[in-house]
Amino acid sequence: MTTVIDAPEQPRPSAVTPRDVARAGATRRARDSRTKIWIGGFLALAVIVPVALARLLPLPSPDATNLAARRLPPLTEGHLFGTDQLGRDLLARVLFGGQVSLTIGVLAVVVSGLIGLTLGAVAGYRGGWTDTVVSRLLEAQLSLPLLMMLLLVVALFGPSIPVITFVIAIAQWPEIARLTRSLTLVEREKPYVAAAHVLGLRNTAILLRHVVPNIIKQVSLVVLLLLAQAVLLESALSYLGAGPQRPFATWGRIISDGQDYVTTSWWLVTLPGLVIATLVVGVNLFGDGLRDRDGGAKPKLLQRFSLRKKEI
Amino acid sequence: MPRYIAKRLGQSLLTVFLTLTTVFMLIRLAPGDPAYAMAGPLASTEDLARIRSDMGLDQSVFIQYLRYVQGLLHLDLGTSYSFQAPAFDVVLSRLPYTLTLSVAAILLTTVVSVPLGVWMARRADTRRELGANVVTIAGQSMPDFWTGLMLITLFAVLIPVFPPAGFTTWPSLVLPTVTIAILQIALISRMVRREMVGAFTSPYITVGRSRGVSERELIWRYSLRNSAIPVLTALGTRFASMLNGVVVVEVVFAWPGVGSLVVRALETRDYPLIQATVLVTSVLAILVQLLVDLCYPILDPRVRLGKGRAK
Repeated sequence: MTTVIDAPEQPRPSAVTPRDVARAGATRRARDSRTKIWIGGFLALAVIVPVALARLLPLPSPDATNLAARRLPPLTEGHLFGTDQLGRDLLARVLFGGQVSLTIGVLAVVVSGLIGLTLGAVAGYRGGWTDTVVSRLLEAQLSLPLLMMLLLVVALFGPSIPVITFVIAIAQWPEIARLTRSLTLVEREKPYVAAAHVLGLRNTAILLRHVVPNIIKQVSLVVLLLLAQAVLLESALSYLGAGPQRPFATWGRIISDGQDYVTTSWWLVTLPGLVIATLVVGVNLFGDGLRDRDGGAKPKLLQRFSLRKKEI
Repeated sequence: MPRYIAKRLGQSLLTVFLTLTTVFMLIRLAPGDPAYAMAGPLASTEDLARIRSDMGLDQSVFIQYLRYVQGLLHLDLGTSYSFQAPAFDVVLSRLPYTLTLSVAAILLTTVVSVPLGVWMARRADTRRELGANVVTIAGQSMPDFWTGLMLITLFAVLIPVFPPAGFTTWPSLVLPTVTIAILQIALISRMVRREMVGAFTSPYITVGRSRGVSERELIWRYSLRNSAIPVLTALGTRFASMLNGVVVVEVVFAWPGVGSLVVRALETRDYPLIQATVLVTSVLAILVQLLVDLCYPILDPRVRLGKGRAK
């Protein structure tokens, strides 16, 4: 049951017309952020859903070679993305490889999120020497040649899924730790923390039950953007041959396999790359939109915390 | 000022030393035998033992480390296994290529991203700005090796304007530079926009406008100058990371720089070469950071180095 109130007929007391309101920056920002969230979510899901359901789709096995059907162009019978140099179905390879890529990405972000949240919150809340140690660690990592170190670790310890996940997590935890730390610094001065102290709560309880729930929303926005970054990092590693080989070749590896044929079979490089780009653009747009939407409440901190893409 | 520089250099020295120690330890912790990698699968046990003692690998890790530090003090980083030449010299011979590429990329980035960022900031929250915004998001979302391969396909294979790979003539610099710059432009222009939007709301802009300062001067002389420090810091960080981090793009374009050297050194487990690369690139990165910090007082006279951090 809704009541419609008609706008009064007399001329408006102000020169601002509804048209002006619709075109104003603030209105537009709100509208744009909704558009970004929808388009971003759509793009990301357009990749994530087929990847997640790869086993249910009627696809040939990603490892079934068929030398008679080598390098078929896309849209040929039964091969939507065409086939690669060994006659394997490219779509199946991309989707099954994507399962590995996405698993690594999600796991890495979860691990780095846990490390970053814990260390950042403790450093921000306790201050003192804990803060000094954590801040030093953050600075030290910034001055390291990052990709080189990642490659080194993977080359030395073998390109297994746990090693790669761990390596990406180590590369990403400073982002979250820094944000959590600065948010906690603000949060711990608020009256409710003092009140909790007076009520006799222990520091751990205050941190876990009061401070963390208050900052988790903002941290989670960044986690989304880190997921995009993790996918890119994993694809770069596997492009350089430092990606997981089993059970399926991941996206970067598929592209590096296909690059020798780039002159004759464009789809071997173009299509897997487009899939990565679609996913990452989607996740980034989605995160950007969410950030714009929530930006009003605590704009300074989040705006300043833009996603630094790791040096690749 | 000299005291500040000395202090910074001292801190940096410690960082470099710790990095090198970490790399040293990581290498020794890992499974795999460089003697085996060098001699091949057909080598006899005696051959392997001889190679090991030649390379000093039969000593305990601690002794190896002491020797390594001793060599470090003389800038002697050992002999590269695969090049059979002093590792330090091998890295130095590759360095000019990486430097050229990084300088070209950072110049292109600056020239494009600052005007783009200012343009976006002036039209903040309009339809056209949304378009630019989406384009920059796309720019930072494409994997750079893929962008590189696409550029090769387009501009070296389909329309052969530029050489596809290697470094033969100056035009071969174009494609790798553009590949690196696409990502950096996306990141830096967003940052310029953010800083400029912040600067536009500051009181001194209102005062300037009320006094009739032209819009152009307000933007380019006042706002930009006040946004310069964070932007310059970001550019410096990017440049420093390029010096040791254009690995992927160098591999795509078969660019004979440090990045492709690292990949090769890792594949062959060339320990001295890995260590020399890490040393050279981290020292360079730290020097760039220091230079950027020294520029702060020029841009903003309020900054006094060494007396609290300028933020």
